[in-house]
Amino acid sequence: MSKIAATAVLVTLLAATRPVSAAEQLVLIVSADSKVEQLDSLEVRKLFLGLTVTYNGDRLRPVLDEADARVKKIFLQNIVSMSDTTYDRSVLRLTLIQGQIKPIAYKDIAQLINAVIADPTAVSYAWAKDVAHDSRIKILRVLWYD
Amino acid sequence: MPHFYLREILLCVALSLPWANVAHAQHDHSSSDFEVFVAAEAFHGSQQTRLGDADPWIDADVVFGLTKHQFRVFGEYYITPDERDLERFQMGFEFVPETVLWFGRFHQPASAWNTEHHHGQYLQTDITRPYIERWEDEHGIIPQHITGALFESRHSMGKDGAVQISGGVGAAPALSDRALEAIDLIGDNPGRHRLSVTGRLAYLPQYVGASSMGLLYGHDDLSVSSARTLASLQSNAAKLSLYGAYIDWMAEPWRVVAADYYVDVALTEINRNESFNSGYLQVERQLPRRFTIFGRLEDSARMQESRYVALFNDADGDIEIALRRQALGVRWDYTRRQALTFELSHIVSLTQKSNELRAQWSAAIP
Repeated sequence: MSKIAATAVLVTLLAATRPVSAAEQLVLIVSADSKVEQLDSLEVRKLFLGLTVTYNGDRLRPVLDEADARVKKIFLQNIVSMSDTTYDRSVLRLTLIQGQIKPIAYKDIAQLINAVIADPTAVSYAWAKDVAHDSRIKILRVLWYD
Repeated sequence: MPHFYLREILLCVALSLPWANVAHAQHDHSSSDFEVFVAAEAFHGSQQTRLGDADPWIDADVVFGLTKHQFRVFGEYYITPDERDLERFQMGFEFVPETVLWFGRFHQPASAWNTEHHHGQYLQTDITRPYIERWEDEHGIIPQHITGALFESRHSMGKDGAVQISGGVGAAPALSDRALEAIDLIGDNPGRHRLSVTGRLAYLPQYVGASSMGLLYGHDDLSVSSARTLASLQSNAAKLSLYGAYIDWMAEPWRVVAADYYVDVALTEINRNESFNSGYLQVERQLPRRFTIFGRLEDSARMQESRYVALFNDADGDIEIALRRQALGVRWDYTRRQALTFELSHIVSLTQKSNELRAQWSAAIP
């Protein structure tokens, strides 16, 4: 009985002291030079669906993180709320309807970070662990966590 | 198919490769994009001696756009073995987000189907478009390409919804020999284009969603530019007034698209009016493994009595005007941006009944 109680105490202590893992947070990011301070969920959804979103007069540019399949899945489920096929067709449809520009996609996280750093109007998302210690990146908010 | 056209289509595909999802994001705040929608179709039809004018065996729809600050330039170039047209070319200014004033040649906003799919076959779940929505060069009876100014705006309404307003004013097509003839931006224009006013008022339950429903209006003053048409119509002008309503509702895995049009035709010289109705209902259902099944019903009233509608029937071995159609099909998106579609339909036209079987490969590149 005491063995079970000791194990329970240990598990509780470990759970309590374990820091929230940065690897399990998907965050919304911009360049540290960006004027953007905050974007609400609707603005983020509009942006990644190819609609025009401006901040202080600057037109923002969506940058897709396709570096890992899990990020893409979370993006589709939690940010645009669409299946992969429906999202792809929605973005293509905007191109066909209004000549809207499709979001740029990066399959390499280093390239994505460099692209965001280089463009103060770029908005993207990434695992917190990949950007938390990069002073050139500004984290706007947590989009998803586990 | 002449090699010239094959080369042209391949050139478009090749051109698209270096642009693959580049959408340049440079510091000059300009962005550009390039997309090619390609489709190839096989056809078998009873009671028809040839493939319809709306059914090229291969086509490519090249779409390009450029955005710089609030300015936009956008074009759509459509290529088939028989046709090469700059279908749309628009220059616009976006006053505020999602409010754009365009100048150029555009698709009139009173078409429920064409403003959604344009010429890109890949984005259309089915293979055929409803007969009432056909383009002018497919013997379509409603003017679709207008050259002038187009205003488009979307505003938030309520918590999540939006209202969308589109209005177009410009030069309507002329009524030539068995077809409407829109202004051609890169070819010859015989003139005789009069005023077109078209509009749409739509409600979107979600600002960024795919569903919408709304009202459609169009008024086109069509001048007759062919002696044969003048003789058939006994009038040198026809004024078309269109009133319509539509719904395009998506609740995955279901999608419902329906539209109904009432068209009034005033023949000015003989002081005669005629009218007809045409509408359709399409239901789509996504299935596992990226299959989608769809069915469409098209129906009409008084079209067979219309002297105006009869103008477009040239008895050349295909079906130009359908009074009714039932279509059923399946689409398989077997890989990213490529799909195979099969469609079976039964058509009652002005002169005959017919069954059709079509198979299509369609893709978006890159």
